[in-house]
Amino acid sequence: MPDISPDRLDGYLLVAGILFVAGVFAIISRRNAIGVLIGIELMLNAAALQFAAYGRFAPSAADPQGQTAAVFVVVVAAAEAAVALALFFAVYRTFRDVDLEATRELRS
Amino acid sequence: MIETFLFVVSSLLAIAGAIGAALVRNLFHASLLLGLCLLGIAGLYLFLEQHWLACVQVVVYIGGILVLILFATLFSADVMGAVQRRSPALLAAGGLAAVLASAVVVRLALAGRSAADARPAGDMRPDAFEGDTFTVGDLLMGDWFVPFFAAGLLLTVALVGSVVIVQRFRRPAGEVADA
Repeated sequence: MPDISPDRLDGYLLVAGILFVAGVFAIISRRNAIGVLIGIELMLNAAALQFAAYGRFAPSAADPQGQTAAVFVVVVAAAEAAVALALFFAVYRTFRDVDLEATRELRS
Repeated sequence: MIETFLFVVSSLLAIAGAIGAALVRNLFHASLLLGLCLLGIAGLYLFLEQHWLACVQVVVYIGGILVLILFATLFSADVMGAVQRRSPALLAAGGLAAVLASAVVVRLALAGRSAADARPAGDMRPDAFEGDTFTVGDLLMGDWFVPFFAAGLLLTVALVGSVVIVQRFRRPAGEVADA
């Protein structure tokens, strides 16, 4: 059984795992591109939380490598959100919708 | 005791927000639930004694990315009425992918936990943690300088690129509207 306590790794791993699985479900099952983006953000957050948790309980805790890696995850998420929303804007101007099923212009 | 209680509250906030954001039909509600989830994760960062990361989470994620997503939701669909219907096939595919992903996640978490438990006793104790802002700054300017520089380049390229994407589609959109 997982040991739920702020001083143990288990609780953080449990939360991060649930977030990751929820993100995967959202990415596969959503038809709207913004819903897919929400799923991606959930997965990125799960990864950042794992980095931070493992970095916190690392052998040499004085060396915050995990925290630094989590900051880079946030940076990548910010860049990804900016580009994704620009793409949504462009797709919306063309198709009047960001439904992934409706935007099939490139389909052969 | 109170610490454990607040830890559980933060965890439940993150979990409920994530599951809600994945399941709720209305996209606007899903975005707001994502904000709840991000807030819970910020609380978990506080318990990891990574205060700076918690601040970054609130400022960049909730203040930046979530506002962008809310903006996109507001301009893209008729907001409150936009109920996203999902076909049973998509839901089944999502469920299957979720089951596969949870199998992988559980396996990795067990491996990571046993690796953490295999270390000498005392390592899991949260004593003498020095993951403060100064050490992170030293790392960014030292060992992590190349990734730091690459992240700056990535952000610049992403911002310029998004402006270019939107600009390029401005003119054809007018032609489409005329046709």
